[in-house]
Amino acid sequence: MSLASLIQVLPATVIDGEALLDTAVASLVAGIFVTFTASLAIYGFATAAEMRRVDRDLAAIAAGALGVVSMLAFGAAIALGLAVMING
Amino acid sequence: MDGDIVLVIVIATALVFDFTNGFHDTANVVATSISTHAVSPRLAVGMAALLNFAGAFISIEVAATIASDVVDAGAITPTVIFAGLVGAIAWNLITWYFGLPSSSSHALIGGVVGAVIAAVGTAAVDGEGILGKVLIPAVLAPIVAFTIGVIAIVIAYRICWKKRPGPVARGFRMGQVVSGGLLALAHGTNDAQKTMGVITLALIANGNLPSTGFEVPTWVIVTSASAIALGTYTGGWRIIRTMGTRIIKMDSAQGFSAQGAGAATILASSHFGFPLSTTQVIAGGIMGSGAGKRVSAVRWGVAGNIVVAWFLTLPASAAIGAACYAFTSLFGDGAAGPVILSGLAIMLGLTLFAQRIRRGQPVPQV
Repeated sequence: MSLASLIQVLPATVIDGEALLDTAVASLVAGIFVTFTASLAIYGFATAAEMRRVDRDLAAIAAGALGVVSMLAFGAAIALGLAVMING
Repeated sequence: MDGDIVLVIVIATALVFDFTNGFHDTANVVATSISTHAVSPRLAVGMAALLNFAGAFISIEVAATIASDVVDAGAITPTVIFAGLVGAIAWNLITWYFGLPSSSSHALIGGVVGAVIAAVGTAAVDGEGILGKVLIPAVLAPIVAFTIGVIAIVIAYRICWKKRPGPVARGFRMGQVVSGGLLALAHGTNDAQKTMGVITLALIANGNLPSTGFEVPTWVIVTSASAIALGTYTGGWRIIRTMGTRIIKMDSAQGFSAQGAGAATILASSHFGFPLSTTQVIAGGIMGSGAGKRVSAVRWGVAGNIVVAWFLTLPASAAIGAACYAFTSLFGDGAAGPVILSGLAIMLGLTLFAQRIRRGQPVPQV
């Protein structure tokens, strides 16, 4: 049984199913997105270092750019999460 | 006059609970960072203390839930809240003594509910509020954190598995500084608010605040934030060992995934006003990041002990809360009962603490 269908069968007067579902979805999206962007940033920077060692400058720049963009996305996700929290 | 004395005792006890909450739950926040050597133990604990303090100012949704959705504020007295707090502190100290990462939040809710039942019966307990705002989120949150932990570690390994382990480990350790900070902030946001809620409830019960509407006075926010930060800085090293090394032996990618899973779940729940157990959520994230690598990597025996402690927390703290209320009522409705129980609790707590420090290993050599 999926989370959504589980929440639907719980008594509506007792459980705020929508808030619970929103919480679960927001947690999943935030947790997975943050890990994805951080992993991609690490991958980009590690690849850039490897490419520089074998003098493949263009590939190093591309991988470094991927690292920077991913890190910015990681930072933006955290900033957005905090802004949502602080502004209620 | 008696009412004011009891109120002062309640506020002091609530702040002691907040301190033990920070002390007890430090492990949740810093264990993964310490066990993967992302930061030194002292730095991790210091950073967690600062961010716990800051986190307490972010939201008051959880405090509102504690003060208005668990028990009927109009039907309880400061003495009832005091007995509930003693129940919660006692359970926190018992689980700390045995090194079990149980839930301070559920201990608090259980203690207050037990004392309310002993004082006025079940009529003042908001069963629907407890089910909808506490019990069901309590079951769902660790499952959500576990799921995020599994998915996150699979993503991290899939993306980085062909890279040299050194730079990848360093990268995730740096990421852990951020995710550990977020987790500390999330902990402060969710857990300090529980104490704010209880103090606000006591102020309402004593007639210092109106029972209609809900507003947490600024001094309550500041003192609660300070108490949890101080408790966090003092640290609960026994539980750090259990959380950091005994559930799974983790690498930095797993530590990052577990902390990210925990922080995301707690921050989202705080935003919607669900008073979660940060302990359960983070343990769920740790188990998920272990199981995502290899199911047998999780020490399921240790995980099982933790789950047993979770199930025991609400009834055990409720029973202690009820017993404390029964004891204080032996001395009448005045301040005598809370004063005597406070004295006894302080003596017992100090004895237990001294014994544990003598026998245990207060600071691990990481």
